Amino acid sequence: MTPVEPQSTSAGQTPGNRTVNLLVLACRLAVGGILIYASLDKLAQPAAFAETINHYRMLPGSLLHAMAQLLPVVEIVTGAALILGVNTRGAALLAAGLTLLFMIAITSALVRNLDISCGCFHTQGGHRVGLDLLWRDFVLLVLCLPPLLAKHVGPGLYRSR
Amino acid sequence: MSGMETSGTRYLGPGWKAILRQALQLLAASLLLGGAIWSLRTDRLPLTADLEIYQLELAAPVVNIPEALELYDQGNHLFIDTRADLQTGQEAIPGTFVLRSATFADDLRALFDYLGPEDPLIIYGDGNLTLDSNIVLKLQERGYQNLLILKGGFPAWAGGGGETSTYRGDLDQ
Repeated sequence: MTPVEPQSTSAGQTPGNRTVNLLVLACRLAVGGILIYASLDKLAQPAAFAETINHYRMLPGSLLHAMAQLLPVVEIVTGAALILGVNTRGAALLAAGLTLLFMIAITSALVRNLDISCGCFHTQGGHRVGLDLLWRDFVLLVLCLPPLLAKHVGPGLYRSR
Repeated sequence: MSGMETSGTRYLGPGWKAILRQALQLLAASLLLGGAIWSLRTDRLPLTADLEIYQLELAAPVVNIPEALELYDQGNHLFIDTRADLQTGQEAIPGTFVLRSATFADDLRALFDYLGPEDPLIIYGDGNLTLDSNIVLKLQERGYQNLLILKGGFPAWAGGGGETSTYRGDLDQ
């Protein structure tokens, strides 16, 4: 792992800096927690998740199982990295990328009038795909930005150079 | 130039190369972890899907265009258009009735004198089988049982040489 992010130090911080650092930390914990929670049911039930992905009719069948088994692992690794502060900015970029991917899938389903459940958190009986989901993902995308762009990413397992 | 790779007190923004490298490292870690989980779990899915398992479950049988043309010529089936954007002046199957998902209850009420639960119906839209299947489910809830879904919808019908007429928006066309 590459220790590139500057870490917070308590010395010499203005109240404004502390607020920003707290905001960054809160965003990391929120996005990381959401990603880990979202991955659990998918990891437990890969067959049901593969079916959920198939309902979007975006992926060729040959990639269905690979995606169903890899996506939740990417989610949990990204979420854990955000929370633990390992490759934090890279994790924030990945989280933003995942969220964009979900938004594209939801938009595509909406455009095609697909009446399906999103499979975001639960592989069965989940939330129906709709505009509210796009808003939710947009908020998640915004939450990814502070850890990606702020000067300090907050505490983590890797110290700055 | 990367901000984080620049020493000094001025923050010039994140170093995108480094961030990208971090993201790729996490993806590689995910790939390794995913492979390990896949090899250890007993209920793992094969990497290549058996696509027959994932055939869309529809609420009614699907009829293809040649079969639908035959049924049309026999004249026993009524056709139901589910296209949400169907406007007066557009092409449709002659004699079609309209049942849209968003206004289903009102549309069905308007057809009360024309459609009975015993009538054989062929449901078609723009080719979206999921949408047609949802209309079928709603019809089944109201006692309609003799239902078929047209594979490919109106585009396939028109492309397959099926008769079309201009939709006038009234029930006596």
